[in-house]
Amino acid sequence: MIKTTELSKKYGGITVLNIESIEIPKGQTFGLVGNNGAGKTTYFNLLLDLIKPTTGHVINNEIQVNTSEDWKPFTAAFIDETFLIGYLTAEEYFYFIGELRGMNKADVDAFLVQFSEIFNDEIIGKKKYLRDLSKGNQKKAGIVAALIGNPEVIILDEPFANLDPTTQIRLKKLLSELAKNSNATVLISSHDLGHITEVCERIVVLDKGNVVKDLKTSEETLKELEAYFSV
Amino acid sequence: MIKNFINFEWKQFFRSSYFQKGVAIKILLVFAVLYFGGAALMLGVGLFFILKETLPNLDPIVVVNNFLIYWFIFDLVIRFFMQQLPVMNVKPLMIIPVKRNIVINYLLGKTALSFFNFIPLFIFLPFSIVLLMKGYPALNVVCWFFATLFLGFSNNFLNFLINKSNVIFYVLISVFTGLIGLEFFGIFKISRPIGVAFNSLYNTPILVIIPLLLMIGLYIINFNYIKNGFYLDDTVSKKIKEVNATDLSWMDRFGSVAIFLKNDVKLIWRNARPKQVMMMSFLFLFYGLIFFTNKTYSNSPAWLAFASIFVTGGFLLTFGQLVPSWDSEYYKLLMSQNIPYKKYLESKWYLMVFGVTLSFILSTPYLYFGWKIYGMIAAGALFNIGINSFTTLFGGALNRVPIELNVKAKAFSNTNGFNPTQMLIALPKMVLPMLLFYVPYKFINYEAGLLVLALSGVLGIVFKNFFLNKIEKIYQNGKYKTIAAFNEKNN
Repeated sequence: MIKTTELSKKYGGITVLNIESIEIPKGQTFGLVGNNGAGKTTYFNLLLDLIKPTTGHVINNEIQVNTSEDWKPFTAAFIDETFLIGYLTAEEYFYFIGELRGMNKADVDAFLVQFSEIFNDEIIGKKKYLRDLSKGNQKKAGIVAALIGNPEVIILDEPFANLDPTTQIRLKKLLSELAKNSNATVLISSHDLGHITEVCERIVVLDKGNVVKDLKTSEETLKELEAYFSV
Repeated sequence: MIKNFINFEWKQFFRSSYFQKGVAIKILLVFAVLYFGGAALMLGVGLFFILKETLPNLDPIVVVNNFLIYWFIFDLVIRFFMQQLPVMNVKPLMIIPVKRNIVINYLLGKTALSFFNFIPLFIFLPFSIVLLMKGYPALNVVCWFFATLFLGFSNNFLNFLINKSNVIFYVLISVFTGLIGLEFFGIFKISRPIGVAFNSLYNTPILVIIPLLLMIGLYIINFNYIKNGFYLDDTVSKKIKEVNATDLSWMDRFGSVAIFLKNDVKLIWRNARPKQVMMMSFLFLFYGLIFFTNKTYSNSPAWLAFASIFVTGGFLLTFGQLVPSWDSEYYKLLMSQNIPYKKYLESKWYLMVFGVTLSFILSTPYLYFGWKIYGMIAAGALFNIGINSFTTLFGGALNRVPIELNVKAKAFSNTNGFNPTQMLIALPKMVLPMLLFYVPYKFINYEAGLLVLALSGVLGIVFKNFFLNKIEKIYQNGKYKTIAAFNEKNN
């Protein structure tokens, strides 16, 4: 589904990302881990064509992302709070995204029902603008918005950060179900090794922009990752 | 401690982004400040002589006193819309071991340094000096000057209260509208007793104590108000407003751009900065009055074309020139969502067309000046829709200044969209219609000039898709740069 070839990004001569090749097949749940500055967000930004690659390219479902816009209809992402429109309420924001993805209000309402547990009555019907919600609730709204319209590719940058423990567990369940029940390709990054090994089928470790490990998740993966990072 | 505070302010001022801008902008800014300062100064110096000449039977100080109330009301209105209250930075000071009273005094004292408190200095100080030189009694003049100063500061603190408390806002609004209504219908001329009051203020220097007490009183009210609400969730915090959700589904009839239009309406309605721009663009409607009432301009119709662009183009010029910046806070979302660039631009175009149309409807009273002038406004509106809208969108592609939506622009610290490229692009918006009108006017007649101006606008509308495609390419090419620039502020 997503093919990355010879992809690199340099800022003023310093290489922040250098990926020879990563191929993510359709339906895979793909996890990205690495310390600060490893290049996780840079990689996601390149996947979404938000920054210009220095060399190489990304092909998303046969479409090269930096030459055509046709990948947008089936790709959704939540990278950070700048993906939210602060002056809208959560509902208005969901309707907006839904409309962009060809869903009417009723469709969106029906879709949102399954998230009532996650929202915990703090997001819908609150008469509050997104900019006035807490960081955690903003994140919830952003993640759910990224799932609207059954996208084939979902990119979430650190979805677990800032969330309360209950929501972290619910989100894990949600992502696992999503991987099982739909054919969506899910890409997430995280600093929490436990969460990511639970959710992802495959884990890639980045260090200073390079791929240092590419693991198929198994019983031992968590131990291996812990050993790697406990330097 | 106060020394530390001042040090912070200094750093905040010089390290803020607008100070890191190019030399050219700084020079332009300095010129702007000099210009407005100079204009105020000239007014202050010249006021006495102007009044003496136009109203030789009246004492200039009496005339000024009679009109002083309008000045203060105007001052208050301008402050309400433009003055940024310096409350936000208080959060880090709340838990450090400094007495609350010091922080609050500092906070209120800081508002005293606002630009708005210096304008009267520029006008009333030279006016008072002229009075002194003309042999007016020194004690009276000096006391009168201080009285105006104190009243200016009273406005300063009153504005703080108005901004923070809805009750005071509505009370004040109803009192003002009531008084203006009484005045307008001639039932009770409130301006007369106020004029008398100001005059006795001048004649009896000891009365300066009243404005002084008023200022101190307002200061104390402010002080107590802040002190009682000195918690994060109270006075010093941003106001969290209840959502006023309005159903905009009637806009769906605009087809595929409706979704963006609905968003833009909310953008304007719910954020401080765009609201401010809306207010400014409304003032543009009155721009024509300067030109249409003046003989020198009505005799050189090219200037009428110039003015007509402003009458209907207020919204287009002020809002339009910041087009991608309005969405800077969530630009990454728009760039990764299922949004074709062209649709986005098209919706902004419709918004500007709507703005021009509305301004045109509101400009109907200009019929008073006759069909010729109204025809010019109509032709100018067409030109705005057909040509200037695209020029503005094109200029937006080169504009990469992020905007904080819910923060009012400060006077003279707002350099958003104020850069040399913008100025260059703004030039043809005004010069081109003048030329398009003037050439046929010179060679044929007035009506031919109007026709050419209007037709060029129609032509622009006909070739809308062509222009939008071209502009879209430019936006596409600058995409990464724009995202990076907008990101700087957000992080």
